[in-house]
Amino acid sequence: MKILVTAKRVTDPNAKLVIDDDGSWIDDDVEYILNPFCENAVECALQLAADHDAETIAVGIGDEEVQRYIRQGALARGIDRGIHVEADEQELDSDLIAKILKALVEKESPDLVVLGKQAVDGDSNQVGQLLAEMLGWPQATFASDVKIEGDEVIVTREVDGGLEKLAVTLPAVITADLRLNDPRYASLAGIMKAKRKPLEELELDDLDLDGEEPKVRVVKLHEPTGRSAGVFVADVDELILKLTTEARVL
Amino acid sequence: MDLFNPTEEHLALREMVRDFVEKEVDPQAEHHDREESFNIELFRKVGALGLLGITVDERWGGAGMDATAAVIVHEELSAADPGFCLAFLAHSMLFVNNLSVNGNDEQRARLLPDVCSGKKIGGMCMSEPGAGTDVLGMRTTAVQDGEDWILNGAKMWITNGAVSDTELGDVFLVYANTGGTGGKSLSLFLVEKGMAGFRLGQKIKGKLGVRASTTAELVFDNVRVPACNVVGTQGNAVRSMMRNLEIERLTLAAMSLGIARRSVEVMIRYANERQAFGQPLNRFGQIQRHIAESYAEYMAGRCYVYNTAQNLALDSFGNRTDSDGVKLYCSTMGKNVADRAIQVLGGYGYVAEYQVERLWRDAKLLEIGGGTNEAHQKNMTRDLVGRTILR
Ligand SMILES: Cc1cc2nc3c(=O)[nH]c(=O)nc-3n(C[C@H](O)[C@H](O)[C@H](O)COP(=O)(O)OP(=O)(O)OC[C@H]3O[C@@H](n4cnc5c(N)ncnc54)[C@H](O)[C@@H]3O)c2cc1C
Ligand SMILES: Cc1cc2nc3c(=O)[nH]c(=O)nc-3n(C[C@H](O)[C@H](O)[C@H](O)COP(=O)(O)OP(=O)(O)OC[C@H]3O[C@@H](n4cnc5c(N)ncnc54)[C@H](O)[C@@H]3O)c2cc1C
Repeated sequence: MKILVTAKRVTDPNAKLVIDDDGSWIDDDVEYILNPFCENAVECALQLAADHDAETIAVGIGDEEVQRYIRQGALARGIDRGIHVEADEQELDSDLIAKILKALVEKESPDLVVLGKQAVDGDSNQVGQLLAEMLGWPQATFASDVKIEGDEVIVTREVDGGLEKLAVTLPAVITADLRLNDPRYASLAGIMKAKRKPLEELELDDLDLDGEEPKVRVVKLHEPTGRSAGVFVADVDELILKLTTEARVL
Repeated sequence: MDLFNPTEEHLALREMVRDFVEKEVDPQAEHHDREESFNIELFRKVGALGLLGITVDERWGGAGMDATAAVIVHEELSAADPGFCLAFLAHSMLFVNNLSVNGNDEQRARLLPDVCSGKKIGGMCMSEPGAGTDVLGMRTTAVQDGEDWILNGAKMWITNGAVSDTELGDVFLVYANTGGTGGKSLSLFLVEKGMAGFRLGQKIKGKLGVRASTTAELVFDNVRVPACNVVGTQGNAVRSMMRNLEIERLTLAAMSLGIARRSVEVMIRYANERQAFGQPLNRFGQIQRHIAESYAEYMAGRCYVYNTAQNLALDSFGNRTDSDGVKLYCSTMGKNVADRAIQVLGGYGYVAEYQVERLWRDAKLLEIGGGTNEAHQKNMTRDLVGRTILR
C-alpha cells in the first residue's frame, strides 16, 4: 500500500504579516509553520502505515524553503520520503495545486491521498475536492476518524448536524480535520534520520505542467480597514438612535 | 542558519522542544514548584522524544548530537521550568554524558540504553556535607577488597538522588577518594539502587527554587562495588570530573538564558498592555531601560554561550576559562533580568501567575550549583594569569 500526504508550509498564524509596498504579496521575512491540518494528515498517514504496512510520501509545493517543512514536518515524524515540486508560490491557486497533485498521483500511483482539509493561510478548502474530481476518485472530507477495512476506507466526518460515516472505495482522497488525531512530536532520532531520507525535487516541466496558469490571481493585498473606536451612550434611547441613523442596522 | 541554530537539525530540534514545552512543560510547572515534586511522567516523555541521550552515540541509544544541541534543549526547557530542566541536566549531562564520554564500552552497553530511554534515572555525586567548592577535600572513601571496592561516606545536594520523598534514584556516578591527596586521589564509581548499604539519607526540603527537581543526601555504608563499575582507572577521576564540569557549566548557563528569555518576553508583553497614567508602561523611560538592558544582556550572554558551545568538543578537556565564564556571566544576568521583570510587573510580578517570581527564585541556584561564582572567578583568574594578550 502507498499513501501520499501533503505538507504545506503556512505563515505562522501568530506572526504579524507585512504587506509589500505595492500590495502584491506579503513580506517573506516571516515565520512559517507546517499547516496544522497537514500535521493531522501526516499523523493519519503514519498511523495507517503502521497498521497496514504502507509506504508514505510527503509532498510540498513552492520555493526551496518548502523542503525544510517536508523534512522537519513530515520526514522527521516518520514519513518515508518526500517530493518537492518547485513553483512560484505567487503563481499557485487551488486548481493548479490540484493539477500538480494529480500529476504526482499518476506518477506514484498511491492507494490513498490524505490532505489537510484546508490551509490556515488562504483557508480555501478546495484542493482535496478538486483533486478527487480530477482523478475521478471518491472523496471524504473533514475526516475525524479514518479506518481501512479491506478495499474501503471508513471515514467519520464532522458535519453541521453531528457525525456522518462514509465508506469510500480505494483509491480515494481524504482531507483531515483537527480532531482526527494528536500529531506526534518529531523525535530527536527522527530529526537526525530526516536528513538522510530521500527528497525528490521536481519542476512543473517534469510533470508536463510547464506554462500552466492559475485560474485565480491575487490582484492586491491590503490590511483590513481599521475599526473606529467605540463610543459610550448615555441611555437606551441614544443607543437606538445611533443604531438607526449611524450604524443603520435597525 | 546562524550561531544559535547552526544547522537545520539544530533549528528543528529547537522547534520540536519549543512545541513540546508549550504543550507539556509550561502547563505543569507551577504545580510542581508549589508541591516541590519531580514530574516523572514528564521526564519519561522527554525520554520518548530522544532528548535524554542527546550527546550519546546512536550505538548506545542516543542521538549523537553536539554541545550546541545540548544548549538548545536546556535553553528551551528552562524558559518554562528551570526546576524540571535541572533534573534533566543532572540526568542527561552529569550522568549520561559523563558515562558516555568517560566510561568503557561494556559500561556504555550495559547502562546507556536504559538511561537514554528514561527507564532509569541517574545523577552525579561530587558534593558532600563538608566539602563543596573544595572538592578535593571530599571524605567519601573507596578501599579495594579483592576485585571489589568498598565505599563509605555521604554525598550532599544530589539532584535526582531521590525520585520521591522516600525513593532513591536508580544509578549514580560517585566520586570517592582512593588514597593520597591532590590530583591523583579521586576515582569514579557506578553505584546502583539495590546495592547493599546504599541508601537515601534525606530528601532535602524547603528549597528556595528549582523545586521541581529533587535534591538528596545519599549515604554509602560499606557499599560493595564490583571492579566492572569503576569508570576510567583508579586515581584518574579528576580529569573526567573536570571534563564533565565543562559541559555541565555550559548547560547551566543555557538554563540562565532560558530564564532571561522568558523574563524578557513577559516584560515586553506586560509593559505594552498595562496602562498607567493614561499610557502603556513601555512609554516610561525607566521601564524602557529595564526592557532594553535585559534584552541586550540576554543577547550578549546568548552569543557567549553559543560561541563557547560551538568550540566545545565533548571529549575534549581544557575549555574551563569559557565554560566557567559563560556561567559566571549568565547566572547573574539571568537573576538580574528576572528581577527586572518582577519590577516591571509591579504587584503582579510578585505572585505566581506571571511566572517571573518563580524564575527569579530558580535563577539564584545558578550562582551556586555546579560551582559558585567565586569558584569561577578563582578558576578563571588562574587560567588567565599567563594570557596577558588576548586574541
Ligand atoms: C539545588 C542544588 C542541586 C545540586 N546538585 C548537585 C548534584 O547533583 N551533584 C553534586 O555533586 N552537587 C550538587 N550540588 C552542590 C553544589 O555543587 C554545591 O552547593 C556548590 O559546589 C557549592 O558548595 P557548598 O554548597 O558546599 O558551598 P561551599 O563550598 O561551602 O561555599 C560557601 C561559600 O564560600 C565560598 N568559597 C568557598 N571556597 C572559596 C574560595 N576558595 N574562595 C572564595 N570563596 C570560596 C563559595 O563561593 C560560597 O560562596 C547542588 C546544590 C544545590 C543547591
Ligand atoms: C504583597 C503585596 C502587598 C500589598 N499590600 C497592599 C495594601 O495593603 N494596600 C494597598 O493599597 N496596596 C497594596 N499593595 C499594592 C502595591 O502598593 C502596588 O503593587 C504598588 O503600588 C505598585 O502598583 P502596581 O502593582 O499596580 O504596579 P504598576 O503601578 O502597574 O507599576 C508597574 C511598573 O511600572 C512602573 N511605573 C508605573 N508608572 C510609572 C511612571 N509614571 N514612570 C515610571 N515607571 C512607572 C512601576 O514603577 C512598576 O515598575 C500590595 C502589593 C503587594 C505585592
